[in-house]
Amino acid sequence: MSGDPRADFFFLPAWPPTGNAVLWVSLTIVLAGLLGELAFRRFRLPRVVGYAAVGTIVSAFGLGIAGTRINPSLRLIVDLALALLLFEMGCRINLRWLRTNPWLLATSLIESALTFVLVLLTLSWLGVEWRLSLAAAAIAIATSPAVVMRVASEFNASGQVTERLILLTGLNTFYAVLASKIVFGWLHAEYSGSWTITLAHPLYLLAGSAIVAALLAFAVSQLARKLDLRNENSTLLLLGMILLALSVTKMANLSTLLVPLLAGLILRNSTERPWIWPRHFGTAGGVLVLMLFVITGSVWSVEAMAVGAMLGLALIVARGVAKLATTVALSGPSGISTRQGLALGVAMTPISGAALVMMADLQQLYPEFAAGLTGVMFSAIAVLELIGPIAVHLALRKARESNIP
Amino acid sequence: MPLEAFADSRALTLGVELELQIVNTHDYDLTHASHDLLRLVSRHKLPGEVKPEMTDSMIELSTGICGDYADALAQLGEIRDALVECAGKLNVGLSGGGTHPFQDWSQRRIYEAPRFHMLSELYGYLSKQFTIFGQHVHVGCPGPDAALVLLHGLSRFIPHFIALSASSPFVQGTDTGFHSARLNSVFAFPLSGRAPFSLTWDEFSRFFDKMTRTGVVESMKDFYWDIRPKPEFGTIEVRVLDTPLTIEKAAALAAYIQCVARWLSFEQPFRPAEDDYLVYTFNRFQACRFGFDGTFVDPQTGEHRTIGDDILQTLDAIEHHSIELGADEGCRQIRDDVKARGNDATWIRQTYADEHLLAEVVRQQCLRWSR
Repeated sequence: MSGDPRADFFFLPAWPPTGNAVLWVSLTIVLAGLLGELAFRRFRLPRVVGYAAVGTIVSAFGLGIAGTRINPSLRLIVDLALALLLFEMGCRINLRWLRTNPWLLATSLIESALTFVLVLLTLSWLGVEWRLSLAAAAIAIATSPAVVMRVASEFNASGQVTERLILLTGLNTFYAVLASKIVFGWLHAEYSGSWTITLAHPLYLLAGSAIVAALLAFAVSQLARKLDLRNENSTLLLLGMILLALSVTKMANLSTLLVPLLAGLILRNSTERPWIWPRHFGTAGGVLVLMLFVITGSVWSVEAMAVGAMLGLALIVARGVAKLATTVALSGPSGISTRQGLALGVAMTPISGAALVMMADLQQLYPEFAAGLTGVMFSAIAVLELIGPIAVHLALRKARESNIP
Repeated sequence: MPLEAFADSRALTLGVELELQIVNTHDYDLTHASHDLLRLVSRHKLPGEVKPEMTDSMIELSTGICGDYADALAQLGEIRDALVECAGKLNVGLSGGGTHPFQDWSQRRIYEAPRFHMLSELYGYLSKQFTIFGQHVHVGCPGPDAALVLLHGLSRFIPHFIALSASSPFVQGTDTGFHSARLNSVFAFPLSGRAPFSLTWDEFSRFFDKMTRTGVVESMKDFYWDIRPKPEFGTIEVRVLDTPLTIEKAAALAAYIQCVARWLSFEQPFRPAEDDYLVYTFNRFQACRFGFDGTFVDPQTGEHRTIGDDILQTLDAIEHHSIELGADEGCRQIRDDVKARGNDATWIRQTYADEHLLAEVVRQQCLRWSR
């Protein structure tokens, strides 16, 4: 008989009880799910606002990401969820549309270029070091594919604003990844003095990502020939293939944003036959998407806000003006009304998912340099994480494209 | 409101209206784009008109007054080309076919116009289920009495028109077994079916007055009959056709109706009688269900034959009129369909059997329409 009376009751748990990762993950899912439903039912907001709110609350207790490196397991969830949404998005982008309506290509290029220039000028003018402004401007080009795809499918939206939003988001994510890699490469050359790297890195990234994407697209098309992708079991297989491609992407140091996006694009544009599978690849994908929003919602801290809030807001405003001005100015020639152009510009507000990944990549490559950027970028991400989905939803409703009134 | 006076029109002129599906090019489901299409197409100068329809996923085109088959085909081609160009700019597809094979009717939205909202209030879910697509053919008549005689004469040929134009075998993702399932949706409306039997405009006006007195109808628009008089145009309007998959077939169908009308007017092969309608709904059902293979009961003789055979017999009888009207090319196509190719419902079923994916069927429908 030992001194501790509890030792006899060895089957009782230790006191105090210790939680494990599963506990925290499941608690997060339950809480996010509840808040999401509350946002949707009570306030008629997109559910993702509720998910992001959970992230925001977590961060308020000092448990968020807050400018330090993203934990690898969280990064994996972000990459997976984004890959699913980007692949889905790529599959919706019909490049032939750009040929029949060249004004759309013009809208896309001008919108991205103007965003880059305006954000660069604004931040420089506000005293941010020009190299940091350059990097922030490159990242700011992207609209969040996660928010766009998620809100559009949640409200079953269809119509010109929705279609163009998906097209423009896919394209500007592509430009942003390339632009940010070129900028980072250039900065790298500044530090290391090697200019070959500046060109070699984006080239390697583009070519390598295209190859992996083509392989994934080919594998999916082969699978689709044999199996009905609308069937749940085939969807699971599809999910597995995307995961596999993603792990190859990571091993080869390629872009986790470009590979799924390009794979979807290649699949969609290599054949006219429609590809159809359940949205977000069913429930498994849905859980990943929920986690993605919780994680991106937790990207802030009181300190980061204190440093970067004003600059973050300036970035948001400059970026919004650039996108809105372009979509409104080119609405007529591209075949939509001014009102729809306005809705389209507003719907391009969200930034979070893609920007977070680009920031994480930057942190991995040039931690010191990235540290100077976290205040601005994480403030912008944190603010737009909550406002972005609402902006998309409002825009789609005003454009009469949301099927849930 | 009293019945409008019957306007003057040149006998046997044609007008064609086609209701079209607007689909996205991703999964080929119906999409809301009629506002956008109308805005773009209004920049084109066209021989006819393009108008909104009940829901945001439909659009209706109509030709001006056409003299003959070639004229109808040319006008339809011009409007089609303009619409296809605008649709390309919006990345949407246009397709014929009497039903969209897998759309979910509850997802449809009523077009922003007072009349459509009023109809939606009155008919409830029927109005969204009315997302079906038909071809209407107007035939010019020399006078109101002649119009009614022609109307009841043409009623005998309703099964022909149904079997020839049928292009709606699928509804909500399922093969209905029908060649034209679209007409089953029309039947749900209280004032659908056949027009009352009256051969003079005076008698018809009395019927109309009695109906308006009940408060059930206000204008001719409230009748969803298979054929109805259109007094303001001076025409009768054949409304049982599904929208075909090509404008060539739409023009051929109009030409066939025109030839039958000329034959009935000039030769008066029979005198319409109320008793003809004894077999009307039977014949109509057979055409919807079985197409050319359906049983046709001759209202005069009581003889049974297939609808296909009756069309071929009619084609022989109207041959001379088709040459006079310059409609022989159109009638040859009709004959080919009956003899070998089958109708568009056959094509849709065959394509589905090859592709196993209804979205792919709709994509190929869009290709046929735009060619």
